Amino acid sequence: MADKKRYGFVIDVSRCIDCRACLVACRVENEVPLPHTRIWVKDQGLQGTFPDLARSFVPYNCMHCEHPPCVEVCTSGATYKDPDNGLVLVDQDACIGCGLCVEACPYDARYLDPARGVVDKCTGCVQRVERGDEPACVATCLGGARIFGDFNDPESGVSKVLAGATKVRQLVTDEVDHDPSIFYINGDVMRAELLPRLPRYTTSESLWRNVAVPAVVAGITLSFLGQAVAFTKQLIEGEQEFEE
Amino acid sequence: MSHDEYIPLAERKRLRATEIKKHNLANILTHWFNVAMWALLLPTGIAILASPRLGIVPELWQTFMRNVFGGTANLIEFHYSVGLVWMAVLTFNILVGFRRYFIPFTRERMFLDADDIEWLKVKPLQMIGLAKDKKLPAQDVYNAGQKLYMYMVILGTLTIGLTGLIMTFHNVIAWPWLIQWCLPIHFSAVGMVVAGLIIHVYMGAVFPEENEAFFSMFTGKVSAWYARRHHAKWYWHKMEEEMDWEDRVLAEGRALKTEESAAD
Repeated sequence: MADKKRYGFVIDVSRCIDCRACLVACRVENEVPLPHTRIWVKDQGLQGTFPDLARSFVPYNCMHCEHPPCVEVCTSGATYKDPDNGLVLVDQDACIGCGLCVEACPYDARYLDPARGVVDKCTGCVQRVERGDEPACVATCLGGARIFGDFNDPESGVSKVLAGATKVRQLVTDEVDHDPSIFYINGDVMRAELLPRLPRYTTSESLWRNVAVPAVVAGITLSFLGQAVAFTKQLIEGEQEFEE
Repeated sequence: MSHDEYIPLAERKRLRATEIKKHNLANILTHWFNVAMWALLLPTGIAILASPRLGIVPELWQTFMRNVFGGTANLIEFHYSVGLVWMAVLTFNILVGFRRYFIPFTRERMFLDADDIEWLKVKPLQMIGLAKDKKLPAQDVYNAGQKLYMYMVILGTLTIGLTGLIMTFHNVIAWPWLIQWCLPIHFSAVGMVVAGLIIHVYMGAVFPEENEAFFSMFTGKVSAWYARRHHAKWYWHKMEEEMDWEDRVLAEGRALKTEESAAD
């Protein structure tokens, strides 16, 4: 068993009945205020042609990516990937509510809570997981569509399910692949409305990174070099007792 | 500049021994209060910037400061709190000392005059080795370069304060775009002031010709020699004030004597 965990979800699309008990459990467990939610069940509508019709529902939440763009863009480091369990978490006391991560998330799995001025998202119910319980959405799932565990542990439930599955999908594209930690099995999820978008970076963030940072670095460097040259000259020439 | 004038030895010795008040206590306290606030806010503010996309703050510094403060939230809270104290005290100082200090300081020491404009035209050329034959006009209590830096600091402080307040109270700000714009503006304003601050600290604390300026930030006083050599316009203005005062005292004495004679 690997020292570091990679917690994530396996979602068996064929077992979801859209009862949305997971949404309720999540809201209760994490005190998520209405009208927001940390998790979703996406209705794929009717597929196929009569009489061969099918309908599927896709549980959806933060993908706890291995290379999360939300962490990359977070100004204060409030959003971070927990090095021990691999979950992408938000330290809401450290969140400054800029919402850059909300824009960057390719899955739109975060929201800015205007009442508190901080970002909120799925935490994998880390408070439950740390004491050995499953996330609330998993524990309450009637059909067993949601499975949670450590992908780095070959004996975990998620590893065993994945090993036995024939059709495994991550929601990635050629352009957007941050190695999400949700694996979908037994269903067609590669649909445009479910696939990730490119991370969005605001104009202010781009200007900050591409203009303000180089300008400030250049200004400070020039200023420092200027005084360094003057100071060196001063040292070489020496000082007179009555400098005039 | 008055560097060109010849001053006889005895006069030089007298000037070196005479002290002139350059800064009042309010100036000195505000200056060192600002220094203390910058010393606390700059290292913590830099450490907050954790975004790898910006890539400007070494991870070592981020980790060190987070360890010192016991986490990101505490670090940010400290930065918020010190920033609030900074803004509150500055605002209090301005309001309380508005008529006694702020207005006179602004009126007498901050505005650029024709000599300052001329100084700004000549000095940069001389700094790169040109226009050596041109004479620099006499300067006031602050030279034109110092005045420009003062404008930058005032503009920077206002910008830093305003954007900082918005970010501190982000939980009551309904527009995330406002916070998103405050970030680069706050950063740029700090960067602008710091770039100038490096020169300011060097000129004030290290550059030998300005040694007296540094110590005047503790004592409030400079020698008449320094004032005459570096701030001739201000020096002669002070001399005029002193002569006016002498005239007034003499006139009072004469008037008193005349009254006494009349009474006798």
